[in-house]
Amino acid sequence: MTSEEDEPLQLLQGTLDLIVLRTLSAMGAQHAYQIATRLHQVSQNHLNLNQGTLYPALVRLEQYGWIKGTWGRTESNREAKFYSITKAGEKALNKETLRWRRMAGLVDRLLVEDFPS
Amino acid sequence: MRYLRRLLTKCIGFVRNGRAEAELNREISAHLVLMEDDYRQKGMSSGDARVAARHNYGNVEQAKQSHRDERTILWLEQLVQDIRYTMRQFRNSPGFAITIVLTIALGIGANTAIFTLMHSILLKSLPVTDPKSLYRIGDIYTDCCLTNGLENSNGDFDIFSWENYRQVRASTPEFEQLAAMQAGKQLLSVRRGANQAQSRPGEFVSGNYFSTFGVPAFAGRMFTDADDQAAAQPVVVMSYQTWQADYAGDPSVVGATFYLQSQPMTVVGIAAPEFYGDRISANPPAFWVPLADEPLLNGTNSVLHQPIACWLYLLGRVRPGVAIDPLQQKISANLRQWLSIQPDYQGHGFPPLISKVHVVLAPGGAGIERLQQETNKKLYLLLSISILVLLVACANVANLMLARGMKRRAETSVRMALGSARSRLIRQMLTESVLLGCLGGVAGLAVAYAGTRTILALAFPDALHSAIHATPSQSVLGFAFLLSLATGMVFGSVPAWITSHADPADALRGATRSTGDRASLPQKWMIVLQAAFALVLLMGAGLLTRSLLYMEHQDFGLQTTDRYVLHFDPLGGGYLPEEKLAALYRRLELQLTAIPGMQSVGLAMYSPLDGDHWTDGITLPGQPQPGPNDDTDALLDRVSPHYLEAIGQTLIRGRGFTNSDNEHAPFVAIVNEAFVRKFFPREDPIGRRFGLYEREDLGAYEIVGIVANAKYTHPHEDAKAMVFEPLAQWQHNLKDPIFISLEGQTHIVGAVAMNYRGAQQNLEQAARRTLAEIDPNLAIINLRSLDFQLAANFSQERLIARLTTLFGLLALVLTSVGLYGTIAYQTTQRTREIGLRMAFGADRTRVIGMVMRGTLAQFVFGVALGIPISLVGGRLVESQLYLVKSYDPWSLAVAILALAAAVAFAGFVPAHRAASIDPMRALRNE
Repeated sequence: MTSEEDEPLQLLQGTLDLIVLRTLSAMGAQHAYQIATRLHQVSQNHLNLNQGTLYPALVRLEQYGWIKGTWGRTESNREAKFYSITKAGEKALNKETLRWRRMAGLVDRLLVEDFPS
Repeated sequence: MRYLRRLLTKCIGFVRNGRAEAELNREISAHLVLMEDDYRQKGMSSGDARVAARHNYGNVEQAKQSHRDERTILWLEQLVQDIRYTMRQFRNSPGFAITIVLTIALGIGANTAIFTLMHSILLKSLPVTDPKSLYRIGDIYTDCCLTNGLENSNGDFDIFSWENYRQVRASTPEFEQLAAMQAGKQLLSVRRGANQAQSRPGEFVSGNYFSTFGVPAFAGRMFTDADDQAAAQPVVVMSYQTWQADYAGDPSVVGATFYLQSQPMTVVGIAAPEFYGDRISANPPAFWVPLADEPLLNGTNSVLHQPIACWLYLLGRVRPGVAIDPLQQKISANLRQWLSIQPDYQGHGFPPLISKVHVVLAPGGAGIERLQQETNKKLYLLLSISILVLLVACANVANLMLARGMKRRAETSVRMALGSARSRLIRQMLTESVLLGCLGGVAGLAVAYAGTRTILALAFPDALHSAIHATPSQSVLGFAFLLSLATGMVFGSVPAWITSHADPADALRGATRSTGDRASLPQKWMIVLQAAFALVLLMGAGLLTRSLLYMEHQDFGLQTTDRYVLHFDPLGGGYLPEEKLAALYRRLELQLTAIPGMQSVGLAMYSPLDGDHWTDGITLPGQPQPGPNDDTDALLDRVSPHYLEAIGQTLIRGRGFTNSDNEHAPFVAIVNEAFVRKFFPREDPIGRRFGLYEREDLGAYEIVGIVANAKYTHPHEDAKAMVFEPLAQWQHNLKDPIFISLEGQTHIVGAVAMNYRGAQQNLEQAARRTLAEIDPNLAIINLRSLDFQLAANFSQERLIARLTTLFGLLALVLTSVGLYGTIAYQTTQRTREIGLRMAFGADRTRVIGMVMRGTLAQFVFGVALGIPISLVGGRLVESQLYLVKSYDPWSLAVAILALAAAVAFAGFVPAHRAASIDPMRALRNE
């Protein structure tokens, strides 16, 4: 069992967007590396995420108008593109979170339910 | 909403792609720097940190690509890339692109030209209101254009008399409108004011003709049933084309008085511009004249009131909801009933035929489809030829693409090795071929346009305001485009598929090193197919050309040197009674003979192969009255004394006509050899007698001479039995009004044969002057040399033979090009091998032989495949051939030889080049 629990998880389709939105909503403006690091920490190394994998999600969310990227400087005075969530993004996050909960609940119920034979 | 917004951003991004790309690069490098900083802080050396950052970041290029994929409209992006790439390729090897575009252009152009022709002749409905509800009473066109009684013995009725039309119209309320129109066409002498008359085609039609078709007037009004009355003011409707061409759209034409056959008639209106009449024709009517005016224009030769003269086609609009089958039965029954009570159908052997009479209702949306019936076989032949050309073209293009795909194999392999998806590679090659197909299609349209014009001009040389247009219609355009697209897909998919299955490692090993390759088999098959189709086309060209040569150089039974024929209408100046007609003929003969250089002048009802003829039933005294199914037909031509000499027909025995064979002298006749064989196979015909009008003129004519056969009706058929009678002799004792009318009609001359030494223009001027002097209403229809008149019978055959030859040669060239490309490619592939062979002592002849052997195999397969197809194809065109068998060995031999020569040449050039390789260089060369 242990070995299976250690195995990295693949993200479900569409969940990456939700996670990124949530991260930006909770932590404020972040650059891509920060987001990646954050995901890495939260998932306790269970999420197998290439840094590059983030980019399509960022582009997509930016094109939806849910996040906005601006160039700025880090504490170490390096340049980076900081993404922050927009108002539309907050709204979408609420909606998507609800949808996810319903979905997860439904899947949960289905898995827990005893099927009388 | 968000998707819309995204699409919008993508579209903007599509235009400002460079900026997004720069931004991405900047972001990724910033990302890597941050990671590096991080690792260094954790204690790594700066070198290790950089490596670790790169490693943990993952594949930078892949990240970029997925960013791009997400950012842009992928397919559009790739399409633009593919098109740019393709254009770059075209620029790199313009020869290749031009060859392919030209090949497709010719293939598609030929097809579009033929399809345009087929569309405008075979598939087009009349430009009238609701053509679907139009039906014709009758489905055949055997009896044209004036028959007496029930000529078609199987009873399928297709042509009607005026009385009969009125009866059908009155008894068939199922037709909302039922119009009648002249089956043939009549040339009318048309004059406005004091100008010299012009000969223009006219057509007699019923008063409801225009309302039946729903054709509006462009100017003035169309005539109606009220104008189609004996007592009504004579009126005509002019066609828009004639109005434009002859009178420059002069508005005063409407309401003006014109003289048709010297009779004053009012032009009441101009028909709608798109209306060309009730049938597709190269010479549509310039005037429509109400049936009721036919006696006015044709005088005693009028057929309107002739009880059994059938000369009208019936076409009408069936009321909605009427079932066709019962209607057909009803009309047939009525027709039999009506015929059985007509006094004129009680004799002449008609009664047994009446019970068989029936009609078939045929869809009439395309109007009178005589031209369609005459040309459809030829058009389908042309279409199949052009499809073969297209197949050869496609095979050729596929072959060239394939050879090129193979050449690009190293490049393709590199792209595959670098991670290009197979689908992407195939898509790129498909883009290339579709683009080529489209370019070819556009170029092909130009070829088609020019081609259709040329074909029309050659097929219908005397066309005036033809209703058959060269403009590719929209459906033809669509057809051409789909064809070019499909062609592109077809020849694109094969090379793309093969190339994408290339083993990268194999190709990277070296272009000149491979020994076997996958492409060679399909390439060889392409060549085999091309060779086979080329053979079929060449064989067809051989058959049709030989047949044409036989037709043109056959013995027509005439001496054509210095012979000319003038066609005119003696009644252009109005109707003339017997004596005045005779005087006109005498004057014409005299004045034409007086032209300097004139050797002899002969007048006749019609001349050889000018499209006109007259058939009569012959009765021999002492023999029983022939039954309805007995063939006693002979052609009749009334001629003036010097006609035979003037047209160049040879008298074999007896005497010709002289001036003393006049109205006072006993009736005489000259017959041809075919007549002798048909009616007097075992006796000496000189001095024998026969009659034309059943029992009424039994033995009226005595045979005084025999002439050699000459062809008058159809160049493909043997000469028919024929009788010549003096123009000056009339039978005045006939009682049956039908016979009286027929006798009168045989005295209307249509052709003047002339034996003239001198230039044709001089003759034409002199003849025109002579006619104008005699009467300005006499219009010359045409004046042609006899050779030209005979050759005009073959213009369509000549066109088809030439096109087939052209297409055959084209296929031959394409096959050679394809073969050359393949062999050249294969020998390049085998450069090392050949070099090795030569290093080991093979001499040049051996190398050439080796290469040529491969070619020979393809040639043999091609011929083996082509011969059976040719034989089947030959069977299909057999009906078009004259004196040539469908399996004509000469044509086949010539076709095979031509193909062999082309193949040998196409193979020898690259073989020779391969044999000129310096072995050392070949081996060193990578």
